[in-house]
Amino acid sequence: MNDEKLENLAKRLGSGAAARLDVDATARKVVERLREQPVRRLVWVQQTWLRVAAALVIVLGGAMAVRQSLIRPGSAHSAHFVADDLNDLSADELRDVLATFDELISTDSVAVPEGSTDLHELDAQQLRAVLRALEG
Amino acid sequence: MANPLPRTDAAPDAALIAAWRDGDEQAAAELVGRHARPLARFLAGAGAPDADVDDLVQETFIRAFRSVDRFRGQCQFRTWLLTIGSNVLKDFGRRAARRKVLPLDEAVRDVTGDPHEHAEARETEALLAAGLQQLPRLQREVFLLRAQQGLEYEEIAAALATTPGAARVHYHHAVRRLKEIVK
Repeated sequence: MNDEKLENLAKRLGSGAAARLDVDATARKVVERLREQPVRRLVWVQQTWLRVAAALVIVLGGAMAVRQSLIRPGSAHSAHFVADDLNDLSADELRDVLATFDELISTDSVAVPEGSTDLHELDAQQLRAVLRALEG
Repeated sequence: MANPLPRTDAAPDAALIAAWRDGDEQAAAELVGRHARPLARFLAGAGAPDADVDDLVQETFIRAFRSVDRFRGQCQFRTWLLTIGSNVLKDFGRRAARRKVLPLDEAVRDVTGDPHEHAEARETEALLAAGLQQLPRLQREVFLLRAQQGLEYEEIAAALATTPGAARVHYHHAVRRLKEIVK
């Protein structure tokens, strides 16, 4: 059998079934079925948006949880000393700050540099060291 | 529902598809009228039992109209329809295999004319139909789209998401195999 004969045979294939098909009736049935079972596009769109919204909530919630776990309360403050904020203060201003500490805590617990008996004799660097010691 | 648009036979499929998207049922009916017979031939050629061809044609159109938004004009509407028909037939085959439904006996088909000629033609046609069932699905589809529907390789490739070269190779493999079967 050559190619042409095979193709001719293929062209005839199914022609009986096609000829027996009542095209008008088929068209009517198709339209009726489309009417009976309309496309659930709106429902599909709603479901899709619901899924997208749920996914967003999960992603954002997860991101917030990760963020919270990374930024632990107090961890930022542990390395921060109040004394660092006092760099711009002069020696007199620092003495005033320490004077207020004197009212709050016992003078025995203040780590005064060795050899110093009076805060007035300390320079700014030594006063910061005292403040640091007070902060623990 | 939109008012049916006045149209002629020359109205392109694209216009009817657009009208159907706007809810024009008459446009859907006209598309069925245009493509139902070629689709029936394709389905029967691909192995659909005669008794089920009408149902399969309906199911194919229903699926096509419901997913028409996915048709982007990558190929002709008919070609796209035939590929949907192929999927419908595949699903039908799975269901039939579970139910073990046997196809309608070829002998009960209505025939007119010379009984001897018909018997011979029927025998050759049956051989070809049986041969097609032995081919891999892609080869069978390419063969039917090319030999039965007369489509170009470019069109077949666009519909089956392959290349024209690959479609040509599938066709030649199918022809070689079928020639061995239908001697």
